[in-house]
Amino acid sequence: MLPAVLFSTGLVYACVGYVGYVSLMPPRWRPVYPPAVEGFDSYAQALDDRLFWTSIWHTALFFLVSYALIVILGIVLAALMHSRIYLPTIFKVIIFVPSVIAPAIMAPVHRQVFAADGPINWFLERLGLIAVEANGTRVWAGWLQGLLPKIGLGDVTPNWIQPTTSLWVVVAAQVFSSVGIAFILFFASMGQIDRETLEAAKIDGAGNIRVLWSIIVPATRPTIATLAILHGITSLKLFDYPYLITSGGPAHSSEFLGTLIYNVLFGTSSRYGYASALSVMLFVLALGTSVLMSLSTRERRPRAPKAAGRV
Amino acid sequence: MFEIRGRLHRLGMTVITAVLVIPFLLPMYTMARGSLQGAGWANYRAVIALPGFVTYFRNSAMIAVATICIVYVLTMMASYGFSKLRIRHKEIYFWALMGALTMPEVVLLIPLVSMAAKTGAAGTVWAVIIPLAALQIPFTVLLTRNYIDGIPDSILEAARIDGAGTIRQFWSIILPLTKPMAVAIIVLVLINCWNAYLLPLVLLGQEEGLMVVTQLPNSFKSMYNDDQTKILACAVLAAIPEVAAYVGLQKHFERGMTAGALK
Repeated sequence: MLPAVLFSTGLVYACVGYVGYVSLMPPRWRPVYPPAVEGFDSYAQALDDRLFWTSIWHTALFFLVSYALIVILGIVLAALMHSRIYLPTIFKVIIFVPSVIAPAIMAPVHRQVFAADGPINWFLERLGLIAVEANGTRVWAGWLQGLLPKIGLGDVTPNWIQPTTSLWVVVAAQVFSSVGIAFILFFASMGQIDRETLEAAKIDGAGNIRVLWSIIVPATRPTIATLAILHGITSLKLFDYPYLITSGGPAHSSEFLGTLIYNVLFGTSSRYGYASALSVMLFVLALGTSVLMSLSTRERRPRAPKAAGRV
Repeated sequence: MFEIRGRLHRLGMTVITAVLVIPFLLPMYTMARGSLQGAGWANYRAVIALPGFVTYFRNSAMIAVATICIVYVLTMMASYGFSKLRIRHKEIYFWALMGALTMPEVVLLIPLVSMAAKTGAAGTVWAVIIPLAALQIPFTVLLTRNYIDGIPDSILEAARIDGAGTIRQFWSIILPLTKPMAVAIIVLVLINCWNAYLLPLVLLGQEEGLMVVTQLPNSFKSMYNDDQTKILACAVLAAIPEVAAYVGLQKHFERGMTAGALK
């Protein structure tokens, strides 16, 4: 047992210790300089940094929206797959394959999907929602140009990797990669729903939507909670997609803590002290989530998943 | 779940499902179609002819195999210890290990770079294997400990009476009984190693001969002036091993990748 503990915790905590140490040095410190512990300058700078708060805000926004989408898609698809539809295995493979492929490999593909001449715009063009100007730029169709500013979307143009929409491109990419796991989890937990409860509900006249909302959703609540923690950690760790799809930009519109630290570290002026302070704060956030996760797996009550909903 | 009456209704539900999976098919379709535009299959030929093309895959495979071995051996020993042996303060060690459960890789970049430079691991695959393994072990230990907790003490008791020592019990009882867990660990670690991007990027750099599969599309980007069709051909080739492995071993992948949450 000891080798593993030493190996894993040893390395990780040595690293955290070192980051903590560097974080106390001046923000612009680099390993080539002599060590000079100065204090909490870097932390003060981080709390003052608008970009730091922007990244946290993006992480929160990203988490909320992608989590909602993943849960909804996961539940609906799992329920459909449990019904007697045609070709369930093929659908299952289609949904799960994206979660196997590396985000770093899919990133250029997502760039292409949302490119100005990509399939999304192609489709919108066919629907008559966007028009192509003589010089090749794509703009909204006339009637939309009048409508969008009225509903507060005046800044959105059909050029998706831009400040107003780049965050949502990253969300879409992550949802694509994450629904597979959620789907499998929901599929498994739905397998434990009591058939008789479902039958009884149907005899009482509940329609499919009603059954979904009043029986299936309550029965899968533990899975919904587990996914919140898993996805919370994913959101905090997020790096590959924003870095490779948008590089955190344009104009930091899709900056996350991961890309921020990376850019501070390897950008034009590498500020090791500052990056370390940011890292320590990210570590504390992640640790909080980790404690939550451990507590919830420990206290996993053997609550019968077949607890029936009220119909 | 949903009640389906009659063939028409069944067809309708299938159509709804088909519409819902479009967002998952669209990127795959874009990838395949884009990779065949322009020069057609010649895109693939150009990518494969790239000097060092095979090394991307070889490096990833090497890293994955070494990491799996380290993680498996250490996880089994640690979980056995945590679950069945009497060790002083073992709960403290366990919580220390769990503290590392959600460590974002980016937090470790600075120390890993300087450590790799100091120990001479920089520029070798070990600079990636060691941290990758260390980052997986907390999670695999959490899973495996729960699993071993489920093995009744009486089996080990009986073995002890028959004269088996700690090591013998581990070898002859724990290892064979945790085989399902081994499959889950292998799949989990394999996916995480193969898909790792940030650690190889920073610790192995962008040097010729040290790149891994996930860097394939991006390295092509700089080399061939954003030739989108060839970048997508790279993406297809890099994704093929994973998709093939999944389609071949569906059950194991689904179980392995969701092992943590299904317990």
